[in-house]
Amino acid sequence: MKKWRSSFAVLVMSGFCLAQTADMVQPEVRRVGERLACLCGSCNNTVATCQMVGCHYTAPARAKLSEMHKAGVSDDAIVADFVKREGKKALAAPPAEGFGLTAWLATPVMALAGVGFIAWFIRRSRKAAAPALDEVAVEKYRQAAERDFSRFEE
Amino acid sequence: MENIGALAIMLAFCLAIYSVVASLAGAWKKKPFLIASGERAVVAVWALIMLATGILLYALVTSDFRYAYVAAHSNRDMPWYYKLSSWWGGQEGSLLLWNFVLIWYGFVVVLQNKKRHRAMMPYVVATLMATQVFFLTLNVFPASPFEMLAQGRNIIEVQDGNGLNPLLQYWTMLIHPPILYLGYVGFVVPFAFALGSLITRQPGDQWIFTTRRWAIVTWIFQSTGVLLGAGWAYAVLGWGGYWGWDPVENVSFLPWLTSTAFLHSVMMQEKKGMMKVWNMVLVAGTFFLCIFGTFMTRSGIVASVHAFASSNIGNYFLVFLTLGVALTIYLILGRLDYLKSESELESVVSRESSFLFNNLILLASCFAILWGTLFPVISEAVTGEKVSVDAPWFNRVNIPIGLFLLFLTGVGPLLAWRRASAEGLRRNFQWPFIGMLVLMAGLFAWGIHHVYALMTFGLCLFVTMTIAQEFYKGAAAIGTKESMNLVRGMVELTHRNTRRYGGYLVHMGIVIMFIGFAGAAFNKDSTVEAEQGKAFQLGRYDLKVTSVNSGKTDNYVWQNAVVEVRVGGELITTRQPERRIYSQSQQPVGAVSIYRQWNEDLYINFAALSSEAQKPIIQTYIFPLVSWIWVGYWVLLFGSLVCLVPSKVKLSYARTEVVGIAGKHEKVAK
Repeated sequence: MKKWRSSFAVLVMSGFCLAQTADMVQPEVRRVGERLACLCGSCNNTVATCQMVGCHYTAPARAKLSEMHKAGVSDDAIVADFVKREGKKALAAPPAEGFGLTAWLATPVMALAGVGFIAWFIRRSRKAAAPALDEVAVEKYRQAAERDFSRFEE
Repeated sequence: MENIGALAIMLAFCLAIYSVVASLAGAWKKKPFLIASGERAVVAVWALIMLATGILLYALVTSDFRYAYVAAHSNRDMPWYYKLSSWWGGQEGSLLLWNFVLIWYGFVVVLQNKKRHRAMMPYVVATLMATQVFFLTLNVFPASPFEMLAQGRNIIEVQDGNGLNPLLQYWTMLIHPPILYLGYVGFVVPFAFALGSLITRQPGDQWIFTTRRWAIVTWIFQSTGVLLGAGWAYAVLGWGGYWGWDPVENVSFLPWLTSTAFLHSVMMQEKKGMMKVWNMVLVAGTFFLCIFGTFMTRSGIVASVHAFASSNIGNYFLVFLTLGVALTIYLILGRLDYLKSESELESVVSRESSFLFNNLILLASCFAILWGTLFPVISEAVTGEKVSVDAPWFNRVNIPIGLFLLFLTGVGPLLAWRRASAEGLRRNFQWPFIGMLVLMAGLFAWGIHHVYALMTFGLCLFVTMTIAQEFYKGAAAIGTKESMNLVRGMVELTHRNTRRYGGYLVHMGIVIMFIGFAGAAFNKDSTVEAEQGKAFQLGRYDLKVTSVNSGKTDNYVWQNAVVEVRVGGELITTRQPERRIYSQSQQPVGAVSIYRQWNEDLYINFAALSSEAQKPIIQTYIFPLVSWIWVGYWVLLFGSLVCLVPSKVKLSYARTEVVGIAGKHEKVAK
């Protein structure tokens, strides 16, 4: 019985740490938060999309973000502030600079290399499959075919 | 009893080693009794693993809390079926599940091939059992499920166990892990035959014909496992996503991509004798990606909600992967002369090149996902600074790849072998292309301006029309010739070439799933602190919390919110999203309520009670078209099963026959 009472207490208390707001995801949070990673460690979402109510990272991050937005700080400056405090891991995707650029370029480069390989493979195959035509022989066969067809027409 | 379990695992380990040694020695020394003995050892290992599994399951069902594993992953009040599923709830038990599935496959292979493939079988058995030795090593040494709780020298029993993770106490979790394992472990069979073929220097495609069904069956299990996982995430985790690009989800998807590539490129080998090296690479790649996925889940190398507690078993996997990959590369490079292509590509616009592009796209997606998953670790190793690679990155990279793949799904099957003519292209693609453009223009005019969604819907119609065209043309021709109606003609057509038309049905399933994926572009959500009796709105729905109730079961206490849902003032449903606290773990978990419709799901999560006012915090989502994903899966499953049915008409393909081997292996061949 004691165990169940404590369970009820946990169930009720689990909401106590939550911020009390009517609309919990404001437009600026959806917009800027999409660029920021939720660093709670148990999801792969952004500050905009993390749905864990009372998430120990996203909840304060959203509050901070809204506060900065109300103070007139631009979207880029908000993101830069998060990066300054948390490092590059605060960004939802690696920045397209320095080593982070490889995150973006590796797949297209590999795909292009694959296309190049296929092009080379097809070219090589076609060369092997189609030996150079002997024009004289082709002309001989063409004339023979024309002769045969003209006979049919007769 | 516990000693018998541990002993059975240990004996199985020893016999598996014996099986490898006897099979290889038998093949080397040409001693049939040794080969037979190696195969019989497989049966003995099977019996021992069954015994060990039976003992663990008995301990779980009877709540024998002397076992450390039972105490850590089960508790008395859990229903019996969740007690059984605790088998794969922890590291040790899930490794035993690997062993269980693996030995079943080995057992079936040995029984099936008693008289077939005698030259290859010793190596097939050796490969299967070498993999078994590796997994049994884990169960014998670092992760034994038969460890007992002890104080000093005495075995002790705790009053109750910690219970299974509440998130795993959901019906799909009863079947998701075993099915996923059936898919991943199953690829060891095509891999073993491929390796056997390489070692015995067989120039032909015997291994391909032997393992074709295995590959399709394991692919079905992989697809089902991945979809069940997506369904579980959708219905249990409370955020409505079916795919979160979590590292463990990602690594589970990688072998699916390579095995899908394999199922396509294998047709090139069957019909044209091409891509033999590539097929070896793909089948080996798929197998090693399955092992790699297990390594990622269990090593703690990446953070994931799905990962097991980090342990030192990662090192065992690294050693196995390194040795396995090195041996495979060595064998492939050493047998290149036997893997020469028998035909040549004649045109860029042909069925052959469409297979090449299909493989390229699937592999590009595989690479992108692997790269994104490992990038945080690589970046930290190179720059010393950790970065995040979250869902936005994966979506941005993978959506264009997915769309191109969808395009190829429509184009590839309709291109002619060898060379497609301009007239053929016009005839096959004119109407689907016009249909695609008209639909996209219509949707744009209707107000859908999301570029990827527009492209997806357009391409889905394009592919649907190409598939419908194929069925119609074939069925109409048969109908005219055999005096059948169109439906009977379609059944007859499919029966005559089940792989081709079953494949089209699989493609149709993928198309339907893509429609579901595209719906995500129009998701809506809101999180509100709901006042009882006061309505709040999302989209066309008016929602009102009428009461909050609570109660308890043997396993958990619950609290639910009764939510009335109205559209245009009319009550359409009453939902009861719930929150639970499980008795042993004391972990709060949501049980969402989903109002499923064909066009959209209304998804309601009772997230918490607000701090001061004690009002329910309700998260409401509208997920357009999400049901299409699950429908698409059933179509895919149906199509895959059709592929397994033998065709009525035996098709043969004109092929250049290999009559000899040129080069350095000529002497060996003689």
